[in-house]
Amino acid sequence: MTNLSWRAKADALPHTFSSGRNYRWLPLWFLLPSIVVLLALQVYPTLYSVYLSTTRVRRGEFLHVGLANFERLLQTPSFWESLRVSLTYSLAYITLTVSIGLMLALLLNRRFKFTGVYLVIIFIPWVISEVVAGTMWRWLFQPTYGLAQAWINTYLPFLGEQLYTTSSGALAIVIAAAVWRGLAFTTLLSLGALQTVPQEIIESASLDGANRFQRFFGVILPQIRSTVLVMVLLTSIQSINSVGLIFSITRGGPGGATRTAAYYLLQIGWEQGDFGTGAAVSVILFLINMSLTILYLSIIGRRRD
Amino acid sequence: MVTSKTTRRFDQISTHFVLGLFALLALFPIAYTLMTSFKSQDEVLTRPPTFFPPTWRFDGYETVFNSDMTRYYLWNSLFNSTTASLVVVTLASLASYTFSRYRFRGSRTLELAILALMMIPGLTNLVPLYRIASDLGVLRPQGINAHLFISAVYTAGGLPFAIWIIKSFFDNIPIELEEAALIDGCTPIQALIRVVMPLAAPGLMAAFLLMFVDTWNEFLAALVLLNGTARTVTVGLYDFQSSFEIAYHVWTAACIVIMLPVLLLFALLRKRFFEAMLQGALKG
Repeated sequence: MTNLSWRAKADALPHTFSSGRNYRWLPLWFLLPSIVVLLALQVYPTLYSVYLSTTRVRRGEFLHVGLANFERLLQTPSFWESLRVSLTYSLAYITLTVSIGLMLALLLNRRFKFTGVYLVIIFIPWVISEVVAGTMWRWLFQPTYGLAQAWINTYLPFLGEQLYTTSSGALAIVIAAAVWRGLAFTTLLSLGALQTVPQEIIESASLDGANRFQRFFGVILPQIRSTVLVMVLLTSIQSINSVGLIFSITRGGPGGATRTAAYYLLQIGWEQGDFGTGAAVSVILFLINMSLTILYLSIIGRRRD
Repeated sequence: MVTSKTTRRFDQISTHFVLGLFALLALFPIAYTLMTSFKSQDEVLTRPPTFFPPTWRFDGYETVFNSDMTRYYLWNSLFNSTTASLVVVTLASLASYTFSRYRFRGSRTLELAILALMMIPGLTNLVPLYRIASDLGVLRPQGINAHLFISAVYTAGGLPFAIWIIKSFFDNIPIELEEAALIDGCTPIQALIRVVMPLAAPGLMAAFLLMFVDTWNEFLAALVLLNGTARTVTVGLYDFQSSFEIAYHVWTAACIVIMLPVLLLFALLRKRFFEAMLQGALKG
């Protein structure tokens, strides 16, 4: 580390002061605590999980098994099934939160009265813990006594009885709950982006005779394209790793219909105590996350220039 | 814009209609939870279900307030969230100051690397963290070690985001102010504490808030790393499942008790919340 050359921004902050003490290494000391914590509890566990994914515990002993865990995992139908559920869940979550969020933001951006109140109310679900939110939704759709289920039976009987106990019904409930929470996030981000679009561009487009849809797709959307991309990436990361809602609503059931890859990891690695296979699922999920993150960073990095 | 008066009137009504509908949808599950929490066991098991409680009762709350929820879990959550949030804001302030004011070889790369850590989900680290906790012997609920360990895990989880937010607040403070302070004989540490931090107070507050809410609501790490009386509110909620399978008046009362503190924080400081979230996700 002796080769670090500190250069204060615009040469503004000197390293030696009237007190005579040398503060040359101060920036390093400022960084050190954060770096130590991150290395110990973020980087090390990640590497550790790569190591664990190549081991198997037999009678308390760690055995090296190479890639056997991955091989076995990729031959397990229930793992592939969980990836499929993850994909359905994520696609539904991303599409619904991003599109509805954009729509709500467009409406909020018209700045009629009470806009602030609406935004605050729509944001409330985001502040509630996933497991608390999940418990509320589970109660709404409780097969016998749930209020939402009772209303469906009376007014929308074609949706089906006891949604909670059917595969597609349970998945729909979990997705609805996730969208309910996630809308806050996409609405706020969209609104933030829309407010950076200069009003004049939109006005001149409408003077040129562009109607609402033409204005949105031709003028507004291109302006906020990078925010939409960021939203798609962040919501995909959220949905791939979301476990709390599924735990609290269905616990992966019925019959694995709502068991995403993330929930599969929790079951294998923690409930069943199979660290090796659990770590192998972690590594696969980590790689998926990492590729999405690299995309996200490249977008954020490009905006900066 | 050239729009007739009637079009504008229609726009106004349709906008309020759609936004009102979504506001209603956002509030409905919470309102129903609140109503259920004032019912009795029999009223919970009524068919067809009613929205309002026929009589207002506090049975659910009585059970919650005589359970481990108020004996242990609320206090544990309060301790963990406060500790983790304070430590995060302190460490992140120091690190952000360096990133905001100094350039050195690799500083940009380091900054991006830390930002990339933000995207490592707590989930994929759970298995190794459980192993580490069991090696360190902090899985036992006795004593303070379990709390300190999970606070450290939360700290590591929250640091990247906090550094990101606080740095953007520091970047907006003119460097001339510190130069002046340094010329007046302040040490850099004094300049940071007396000049920069007070000016960035809204940012520090925002980071603290987001961190507090996140850790209060956190479930997975708490589920895996904490046992018995060391558990937090989100995990302790499941006590009511095993002991009262269908007692939704108790469940919902517990839900209300758990969400009330963070909802109050949000209601009081919502502007900071919005700012910080926008800053965190989009700017840099």
